[in-house]
Amino acid sequence: MTAIDPATALGREAADWWARLREDEPPQAMIDAWLAWMEADARHAQAFEQVSALAQALQLADASTQNQWRMEFAPPRRMATRWLGAAALAASLVLAVLGWYVAGRPGTDTTRSYASEVGQNQDIRLPDGSVVALGAGSRLSTDYASGHRRIDLAEGEAFFTVQHDASKPFVVAAGDVRIEDLGTAFNVRRTGREVTVAVTQGSVRLDRPGGKDGAALVLVAGQQARYQPGGGAFTVASVSAAHAAAWRDDRLEFVDEPLSTVIANVNRYSHRPVQIADSRLGALTFTGTVNIHTIDSWVSALPRVFPVQVSRFADHVVLSSAAR
Amino acid sequence: MEHPGSSGAGRSGDANRAGAHAAQVRALYEAHHRALVAFLHARLQSAADAQEVAQEVYVKLLAMGDLSHVDSPRAFLFRMASNLSLDHLRKRAVRAATPTDVPQDAWHESPVPEQHASAIQQWSVVSQALRELPAKTSRAFVMHVIEGRDFAAIAQAMKLSERMVRYHVSHAMAHCRERIEGARQP
Repeated sequence: MTAIDPATALGREAADWWARLREDEPPQAMIDAWLAWMEADARHAQAFEQVSALAQALQLADASTQNQWRMEFAPPRRMATRWLGAAALAASLVLAVLGWYVAGRPGTDTTRSYASEVGQNQDIRLPDGSVVALGAGSRLSTDYASGHRRIDLAEGEAFFTVQHDASKPFVVAAGDVRIEDLGTAFNVRRTGREVTVAVTQGSVRLDRPGGKDGAALVLVAGQQARYQPGGGAFTVASVSAAHAAAWRDDRLEFVDEPLSTVIANVNRYSHRPVQIADSRLGALTFTGTVNIHTIDSWVSALPRVFPVQVSRFADHVVLSSAAR
Repeated sequence: MEHPGSSGAGRSGDANRAGAHAAQVRALYEAHHRALVAFLHARLQSAADAQEVAQEVYVKLLAMGDLSHVDSPRAFLFRMASNLSLDHLRKRAVRAATPTDVPQDAWHESPVPEQHASAIQQWSVVSQALRELPAKTSRAFVMHVIEGRDFAAIAQAMKLSERMVRYHVSHAMAHCRERIEGARQP
């Protein structure tokens, strides 16, 4: 028997009364019973007031958070049911799409390339025991020549859990950015030349070998660095482990990112890619979560957040500025 | 208040009765003030609106005649509060449905505020809590608490009874509260 602790039980009672009183016309007997409960114990009234305060705070949350909740938890019904059908169909096909695997160039058996399909994450176990979770629509190659371990992330996103070995540095190259493992689990996302590195365990050393400044930076667990080609230096921010690789739980999370970056990453999970017709739209900032199973309804809801209109075609979707 | 022709004694009697009525209303209001505001806050989801409607209740009671024939003044007080808050909610729904031109342009102009990222962290606890719940539960909750739809409308949209909708909303609310408390005291 697990007993519910008194604070939890009280919270549930308070939430129950709160919901009852939100009926359009609560019956008098219910109000009387509620008043009796409120007067029975000072903690009752306090817990009840806390529930009301939370309800108010939720309603006052910023618009983008509220839109995220709407899109994730209460998307338009028609979209939701249609997607359910599609998801069931996909599941019934049981496609074991593992991403294609290409043997290395002739003459070298140390290089391997991996590419995942759109909409399909893929796990890769490397010869040294390190593991790479490769996001959908992503490409990387590995080079395990003697004495080093090199990964080149050509496109997309990957989460690395590295078997640390100081004698054989584990290095990931992502465009202009070089990431060296110092005993680690970390995520790298590359969108064109833009690179975001988030560390969930241990630390990594970041640098830009081609950069003029040559500045190196050590990033530790709980930190994230973003590199943008015209921006120069890395922008460092704190990040939770849950956020760093949310994509592994089928959620793409974005905090203050340009819509163009968001769309490029969402497209790795969508068989009907979204195109941005107007480059000004790409610069809009988006904060929120995209569930990879409800991309269709997320796209449909975009006009509620941005001044855009959505045009659907057989194999792609176009976002353009909303007509005034 | 002048009553031409009424006697001095009569006027003073009226004044006494009016004074007695005001005192009765005041006593009733003060005795139940906290519960009344809590009741209105729960219904209106706004502490400021709750205060405003509580004032409205008070003024209406003052303007009314003698309450001595009312069986339960307290029941009367809350019934009035219930009706006035419902009016308030309906007016609010009408205002929300009236289109305005503001939001679209504001999007371009307003930079994302500084506190945004920390607010996101805070709200991610709520998002996570909602993900832990059955889809119906978090759906009903978001429709009610965020979108402001009443139980009847949600019941219709989700093909559930109003009672079930209320159950889902209350369950989600309790769960969010638990998770927020948990995050506050690690």
